[in-house]
Amino acid sequence: MPYPPKLESIISLFGGLSDPEKRETLISYAEQSCFQEPKPNEKFDLEDVRKDQECTDTVAVYLRVDEEGNAHFRVTLGPQVQTLTRSMSSILCKGLDGITPREVLEVPADFVPKVVGAELVRVRSQTVYYLLTRMKGVAKVWLQQQQRSGDPVTGDSSPE
Amino acid sequence: MSIDSHYAHPEALVTTAWVSEHLKDENLCLIESNEDILLYDMGHLPGAIHIDWQRDLQNQTIRDYIQPVDFAALCSRSGITPETTCVFYGDKSNWWSCYALWVFRLFGHEHVKIMDGGRDKWIAEGRPLSREVTQRAYSDYPVPPTRNDAEIRAFYDDALLQSRTALPLIDVRSPDEFKGLVTHMPEYPQEGVLRGGHIPGAHSVPWKQAVNKDSTFKSEAELRKIYQEDLGLSPDEKIIAYCRIGERSSHTWFVLNYLLGFQNVRNYDGSWTEWGNRVGAPIEKSL
Repeated sequence: MPYPPKLESIISLFGGLSDPEKRETLISYAEQSCFQEPKPNEKFDLEDVRKDQECTDTVAVYLRVDEEGNAHFRVTLGPQVQTLTRSMSSILCKGLDGITPREVLEVPADFVPKVVGAELVRVRSQTVYYLLTRMKGVAKVWLQQQQRSGDPVTGDSSPE
Repeated sequence: MSIDSHYAHPEALVTTAWVSEHLKDENLCLIESNEDILLYDMGHLPGAIHIDWQRDLQNQTIRDYIQPVDFAALCSRSGITPETTCVFYGDKSNWWSCYALWVFRLFGHEHVKIMDGGRDKWIAEGRPLSREVTQRAYSDYPVPPTRNDAEIRAFYDDALLQSRTALPLIDVRSPDEFKGLVTHMPEYPQEGVLRGGHIPGAHSVPWKQAVNKDSTFKSEAELRKIYQEDLGLSPDEKIIAYCRIGERSSHTWFVLNYLLGFQNVRNYDGSWTEWGNRVGAPIEKSL
């Protein structure tokens, strides 16, 4: 499956960078992770706040689906979350913005090494994949809720 | 808070305040070693260099450490000479800084210290961080004659012998890992271990018992109670510590060796990711 356009453009950006430039860009994305947090009075369709056993701190994923059925994510990360996961929260909030929840489910995880670079994808850094899994989980729950309620906004009635 | 003068080697531990006063010492090299691979880039102690436990200290092909010639090259490009005092610090309560220090000791580097409390304590105290990449003048570190594996490093066969002869093995992992209830550390992904449990006869003493809430090491009296009075270890007996990949056990190795002065402690860096995957390795569970 092709990547969503905004994610594709981020992947392309990283594709043209040297390893040190990639590092710098990842750090820049990590620093922007605070801007992906919910804004005051922002309303969401789903909130998934939890600390899983395989992650060092609490990760909260918030989903809002607009009238056109497009998803918008916000993420809050606890202070112990690794820098690479912070980078990924910015990349994913921006890269997945505006696609449908069903399209979120189809985003392949193979873009991670393209963005992060082989040197930084390590056993201890596997939580970079964790955030995408969490976002997909929220999108899936939202779709299930829509199916149960028969809401036509998903534009799809295929079984989960 | 000052360093407990009763430690066997109080000179091996320095406070954040001490480091703050010695940031510009020419014969001192601050070395940050973290689990979070981008943390150094986000800001580090002024003048500190970064040593990546995986990229810089390990062989990139086989599971082993670098060779003496690589260590000399690493030190040379880091501006370290055999006389340089290396002060290690990092995230995760200094796991990886103890690991890096232990590897430096494998190559016989004499002057090593840990900054008590690590990176988190430095930041909690509002001390400055820098994002400037530190450039130290190239040095010409002589190639060490050997890597001293026999002295402070244990291998599978050593751990097996230790188990069979009922000599002390210290499992520093979390209690659930020791019992075999889980095959990963709490809060971490699975690292590819097929079996859970512990080496037969091992004692469970999680690394965390050795530190206070702010990640500083407990006092000499408190540590002696844990390891000598309660566990019954004696400073001159052969001891092997292990965890999953050797970083948490480096922390315990540092405690036993430098803070309590135990003379024959080895770190089994193959640890559970070797033992728990090895065909035929005996395993004990305590459910």
